[in-house]
Amino acid sequence: MVEKAFRISPDEVSEKEIWFAMGYKDSAPDERVREMALAVRDELVPKATLRYIYQVVEAEKLSPRQVRFAGKTFTPEGIICSYLKGMTHALLFIGTAGWEYDRAKEELKANGDIVADFIADSIGSVLAEMTVSRMEKEYDGPGPLSMPYSPGYCNWDIREQHLLFSLFPERPCGVILSESSLMTPEKSVSGFFALGETLQRQPYHCQICRNTRCYKRRNA
Amino acid sequence: MDNLYQAIFKGMAPMAKTAVQESLDKGKTPQGIIDESMIPAMEAIGQEFEAGRVFVPNLLLSARAMKSALDILKPLMLAGQTTTIGTVVIGTVKGDLHDIGKNLVASMLEGRGFKVINLGTDVSKERFIEAAKENNADIICLSALLTTTMDYMKEVVDAVRADGLNVKVMVGGAPLNQEFADGIGADGYSSNANEAVVVAKKLLS
Repeated sequence: MVEKAFRISPDEVSEKEIWFAMGYKDSAPDERVREMALAVRDELVPKATLRYIYQVVEAEKLSPRQVRFAGKTFTPEGIICSYLKGMTHALLFIGTAGWEYDRAKEELKANGDIVADFIADSIGSVLAEMTVSRMEKEYDGPGPLSMPYSPGYCNWDIREQHLLFSLFPERPCGVILSESSLMTPEKSVSGFFALGETLQRQPYHCQICRNTRCYKRRNA
Repeated sequence: MDNLYQAIFKGMAPMAKTAVQESLDKGKTPQGIIDESMIPAMEAIGQEFEAGRVFVPNLLLSARAMKSALDILKPLMLAGQTTTIGTVVIGTVKGDLHDIGKNLVASMLEGRGFKVINLGTDVSKERFIEAAKENNADIICLSALLTTTMDYMKEVVDAVRADGLNVKVMVGGAPLNQEFADGIGADGYSSNANEAVVVAKKLLS
């Protein structure tokens, strides 16, 4: 089990990622919104401690819908499973923008500024995703890694979060899982990377998923 | 267009406060100010959003400006004869903590003349019904962002019907669509905050 906490400077959070999280797909906000967003970034990001935890476990594909991680059967469904050919191990992970960011965001929200709240929410999403990219970058075990896959996406039932969390210590990185499978702090991510010498890295989730109702959907 | 309209359309809260005071000083009534400047400005920015010419932050800026102007008018409205279009109880359903979209809808409804009771997030069916009764609501608005929590909307709709409450139920949220709304027996559905106002008005007509 590898666990890490780290801090980042505001300028490590790219404007492009923030704009995308705010809904600007191929464009950027006007100067006023840009200045507001960067001010929120500069205020909140220094307060954040990002965290991730991961472990590599034995894995096998059981069927077109199911896999086994560390002896437990998961059902990520057909879309994800179709990209797991050659998987021998899986890197299971949980990452979070952390309680510190959650608290800073709540303080900002208490001021009643709905614009700042929206921006802080968007930046929090970027930070949570950054924990995964940092983990992937720092991972130096056997590979190659697949794309990350998470419960709740590509038709994988979000309730399997509980099964995933059962393979970690209680409150991994401080993250609490609710009965309805919601993670707190809100800006947290979980899932797995498949590992295998013959594994072919596949395109991003939204390019392989047919769930057009997903709120995370990016233009594929 | 007057200064207040421009201030709200452009999302300039301080300018909106000044402009609303100027309008009052000129002898305009709160309801007249809302009807002639504020609601048209919110309708205009909503149309810009629908057309893809502005983004969510612009809507939020306008809603914030609208709110700052309403904060000045509200005390006067309570003392006067001003009426609202209708009363809406709104909340994100149980199990879901996402509230940005819901708050935007609440602001847009308030900006267009509705009285809005915002129950926040993680709201149970019992709480929705209780609040609707307490406030004699015309509409209950349910929001969900997660595919796992949207199913709870049906429980709320069923509970409202079982209670015999004379209230319309509207649903919205990123994973929803009209087919889902129809399937759970909701009276209305909207895919965005601007359309939510149109649907709410239609439900009351």
